[in-house]
Amino acid sequence: MSEQSTSPGADKGPDTGAVENTVAPTTDTVRVETAAAETERDTGGGLMSGSFGRNIGLVLALLLICAAGVITAGDRFASIDNSLTILRFAATIGVVSIGMTFVVTGGGFDLSVGAILALASVWSTTFATQNMAEDTHWILMVFAALAVGAGCGLVNGVVIAYGKVVPFITTLAMLAAARGLAEIISERRTQIVRNEGFKDFFSADVAGVPLIVVIFVLVSAGGWVLLNRTTFGRRTLAVGGNPEAARLAGINVNRHTVMLYVLVGLCCGLAALMLIGRTSTGSSTHGDQYELDAIAAVVIGGTLLSGGRGTIVGTVLGVLIFSTLSNVFTLNNQDTSTQAVAKGLIIVVAVLLQQRLARRATTT
Amino acid sequence: MTETPTARSGQPLLEMRGIVKRFPGVLALGGVELEVRAGEVHCLLGQNGAGKSTLIKVLSASYQPDEGEIFWEGQPVSLTTPQAAMDLGISTIYQELDLVPDLSVAENIFLGHEFSTAGFSQRGETTRRARELLARLGHREIPAGRSVGRLSPAAQQIVSMARALSHDTRLLILDEPSAVLDQGEVDNLFRVIRDLTAEGVAIVYISHRLEEIRQIGDRITVLKDGSTVATGLAVADTPTSELIKLMTGRSIEYVFPPRGKAVPRSAEPILEVSGLELPGVFSGVDLSVRAGEIVGLAGLVGAGRSEILETLYGARRPSAGTVRVNGRELRRASVPAAVKAGVGLCPEERKSQGLLLDQAVYRNITISTLGRFARLGFLDSRDERRRAATVTESLDVRPAGVDRLVRLLSGGNQQKVVLSRWLLRECRVLLLDEPTRGVDVGARAEIYAVVRSLADSGVAVVVVSSEVEEVLGLADRVLVVREGRVVHEGPADEIDESRVLDLVMEGKVA
Amino acid sequence: MRLRTTTQRQQSRRYPGLVVGAVAVLALTACTGSAEDAADDDGGDSTPVAAAGSNDEEGDMVTIGFSAPAADHGWMGAITENVRDLAEQYPDIDLQIAEGTNDVNLQISQVETFINDEVDAIVLLPFDGAAMTPIALEAMEAGIPVINVDREFDDPNAARVTVLGDNYGMGVSAGQYMCEQFGDKPDAVIAEIAGIDSLPLTQDRSQGFEDALAECDLEVSNRVAADFTVEGGEEEAAKLLQAAPKIDGLWNHDDDQGVGVLAAIENAGRDEFVMVGGAGSANAMREIQDDSGVLKATVIYPSTQGADGVKLARLLLQQKAMSDLDEVEVPRTIQLYAPVVTSDNVDQYIDSAFES
Repeated sequence: MSEQSTSPGADKGPDTGAVENTVAPTTDTVRVETAAAETERDTGGGLMSGSFGRNIGLVLALLLICAAGVITAGDRFASIDNSLTILRFAATIGVVSIGMTFVVTGGGFDLSVGAILALASVWSTTFATQNMAEDTHWILMVFAALAVGAGCGLVNGVVIAYGKVVPFITTLAMLAAARGLAEIISERRTQIVRNEGFKDFFSADVAGVPLIVVIFVLVSAGGWVLLNRTTFGRRTLAVGGNPEAARLAGINVNRHTVMLYVLVGLCCGLAALMLIGRTSTGSSTHGDQYELDAIAAVVIGGTLLSGGRGTIVGTVLGVLIFSTLSNVFTLNNQDTSTQAVAKGLIIVVAVLLQQRLARRATTT
Repeated sequence: MTETPTARSGQPLLEMRGIVKRFPGVLALGGVELEVRAGEVHCLLGQNGAGKSTLIKVLSASYQPDEGEIFWEGQPVSLTTPQAAMDLGISTIYQELDLVPDLSVAENIFLGHEFSTAGFSQRGETTRRARELLARLGHREIPAGRSVGRLSPAAQQIVSMARALSHDTRLLILDEPSAVLDQGEVDNLFRVIRDLTAEGVAIVYISHRLEEIRQIGDRITVLKDGSTVATGLAVADTPTSELIKLMTGRSIEYVFPPRGKAVPRSAEPILEVSGLELPGVFSGVDLSVRAGEIVGLAGLVGAGRSEILETLYGARRPSAGTVRVNGRELRRASVPAAVKAGVGLCPEERKSQGLLLDQAVYRNITISTLGRFARLGFLDSRDERRRAATVTESLDVRPAGVDRLVRLLSGGNQQKVVLSRWLLRECRVLLLDEPTRGVDVGARAEIYAVVRSLADSGVAVVVVSSEVEEVLGLADRVLVVREGRVVHEGPADEIDESRVLDLVMEGKVA
Repeated sequence: MRLRTTTQRQQSRRYPGLVVGAVAVLALTACTGSAEDAADDDGGDSTPVAAAGSNDEEGDMVTIGFSAPAADHGWMGAITENVRDLAEQYPDIDLQIAEGTNDVNLQISQVETFINDEVDAIVLLPFDGAAMTPIALEAMEAGIPVINVDREFDDPNAARVTVLGDNYGMGVSAGQYMCEQFGDKPDAVIAEIAGIDSLPLTQDRSQGFEDALAECDLEVSNRVAADFTVEGGEEEAAKLLQAAPKIDGLWNHDDDQGVGVLAAIENAGRDEFVMVGGAGSANAMREIQDDSGVLKATVIYPSTQGADGVKLARLLLQQKAMSDLDEVEVPRTIQLYAPVVTSDNVDQYIDSAFES
């Protein structure tokens, strides 16, 4: 038996008798209404405006870092070239983070993104793949990377959804296995891309904007639409917010979970292609610790680690905050260790804030 | 056994007066009185949600009461930390035993107050003392060195009690101790309890099983809706029917909508269940519900009522049996298949199973009908809101506004949101599990009316409730379930509450 | 503060053209003869890093960007330390350090920042030579000379100057030392504890060792591979000692992992053999100086490569040449020598050794 000690409506004394019982609304309803009104004042009402408020905070943080950049580095920071440098750096990790946002929103977790990226980058640049691409078209390399990403995601998803192994363990295993496999395939050597068509395509500019930045923008926009405007996104929120309720509402939770991991796998495959384009190499060392960067960006963006609430805009801002921070540190001759400390502080502060907000939401 | 050998002094060991405990938006305890004497077995009775667990947690100082006083041997005390309660000699054995499965029996017993010298644990001493305690409980056969995870549930419970006794326990709280035990083990437990009371230890015993209370209890306190409805009743002088009445209570006058014309027996059933079986829970369940009919399932908690609903909904995998809707057999253990066929479930645990508490009302309503609002996967959320608003208005969900978070609604209105979901889906079969638990009086009447009007519009309804009068008042036909079997089936107006209780308790009430 | 004259700017724009034509004959012979001169240069003066006469006179201000992998290893930490120290000694060097990353994506963006900043030259120790090639090419195309240190790019046009250690030469030096000790003992048991086995540099080292031993008819009888860490060194050495009850000579590729190797030897109570180290940490040199343990020698893999790169970048930008050469341009490739340090010459090297 599970005793519901917090059942609402239990506040009537034993003598709340037969007489007044048909009078509506009852005291219960009135009290809850007042509580609701209070909450609205706090968060500015509704879910949309709540996340809007959070995003304002992130924009302020980003502006603060930019201000620090302008003050310490002046025009060296505030230039188009430097902005593009920040965006090019942000692009790969950004695409991974968008995928991560979906998995986390859906109540999951993926530690294997960096390893999947490495495996996809290696697989699509092996001698065999490149030879086949040479005989046909370089688009084959693109398919290879995306297929490897989706395949790893599928394995993760099936083991988690149907094997009922917790995401942390499953993706930890995938992290080890995928990077190991990447090392075996590449023999730990860096594989160089010879196909000029591929290199030209991925290092191209679209109206002065590097293609990988364009891809990041498109993936972000697509991710926003997918999360906020489609049945897939709505189901993701439901599955992450309360899997049991989602299941009993008729959603195929297991299948949806698999799809989420396939989605993040695809994002890793795409990010691998972007990194191959940027380095003209595939390597088992690519994407080192991207899982931590992506989770950090997702968390400070405001997506709940426990699932059920996700924000693409927040994730994009999170990625930009970290990449801009890194840029400002480089411009100021600061080493990456200091940067790591700053990053750690930002994460803790963001999560503390998030918890405070969450507590306020439940106690009103 | 109604007398303990120990003489009862005038002064109670423990007294709780006017205990009030509020949670955000909920009054969990609204003035509870409890008085326990040394050497007695004091039984705490009440239905699910009556506040028993909350009361225990106040007593063990897991919760701080908002109002009220606690006296220990006549002296006012404030139990601010679990340690303070332990220091007085209050120990609790919860339903979910809090043992560490990988540690040995002896280590578990002395967890937190190990015998040690300069940081090194005295294994010999620990084992010896553990054996003493187990012997005192009459269970010498439990090896002190074995890891707890390898013991039977009954033996684990004994270890838990040994742990409680390893402190200087004067008041022992047992929360549904017999739930995991078979008859022989229960007898053994009772023997241990008698030995303890003989030593002057007071026991607070919580159970659903009235026959156990007859066997072991001295006095009874009954809780209902967070308040004491009777306290200090002597077990010997209180008939079972009186206890049932106190527990279920008549404090709420139900307002049931009138039944419509009886559905003709010849009408084609919409929902047909035959030979459904879930091993260890229920078996051989046959059920058929016609359009416009409300069928009620009555039975004790644990009799398998909720499981029957969940299994025919596809949320559990049956070992045998078929479920047909409109003559077509449903795929086994597939909720999506059931929903697609037009079956809807309002689950027992509304908050944890039914709702996305941090999502807007309209999203909770459209979650099972998303396809209808989507074109190529893209949602038209204006249409969603509009349709959700229409349904919530017809059910009078208060406060209105489909963008409000469900968390902020009262229990009754949350239930209406779940109902709205299936109303919007226009389902053919509606399964209601405890539809009015935690719902206030006014909203109850409204929910009854909605269910009846749904039935009148041709929906087949199955209702499960712990409150017999709710089943009898709302349903057209009643099935009584006992220990996983349907023991009675018949029209609701041909059976009364006491007959249902007889059937439910048969062989159980002493 | 950045002073840059137009002439310099034009000068630097010419380098990509120069690169194509430049020939690195002189530097390629470094390991045979000329490196000894270089060693003398460094050791002869009281200030070891600033010794080459007029080249050290203050010239035009030059801005140099430096980027290297994460300092997760004593040798790599020493690289950046030496670069910093060197920059402090030259008032005309404005050093931009973007330090410590094993993420090529981040290292690329660091180099991009240098390009945006229009630094005068970039000294780059890539985490992955091949992966950093496109961005190095981009820098060269933007007229910024790139000095490639330690891990080579896969396109010769991506760097104006390449400074390399001599991994094969390390193996050869170690092997020659073994030959000196055991050349007259054909049944001597020679053991080897390598670094990460799949890295090309490890393979080069082992190949050099094997080739040099063959000269005196010796061969490696027991070989294990560790991973450049202390733990790995301890673990693998313990296995090796178990497998080989009697050893005459042992070469350990890396002094960082050597700390673990020595610990394992100590634990096993073994002292019947001669051990040679690699890389040349201060730790190892003190051990050699002491001359009480098994470690009798180590082969240097210079941790001054980054500093040398910065120094060469300065010469390049100030249009100076290596004054001991007749050549008027800075050479294309410089390969550093891998000398053997023993108790006889340890005093000469110990001051420039890195702390692990």
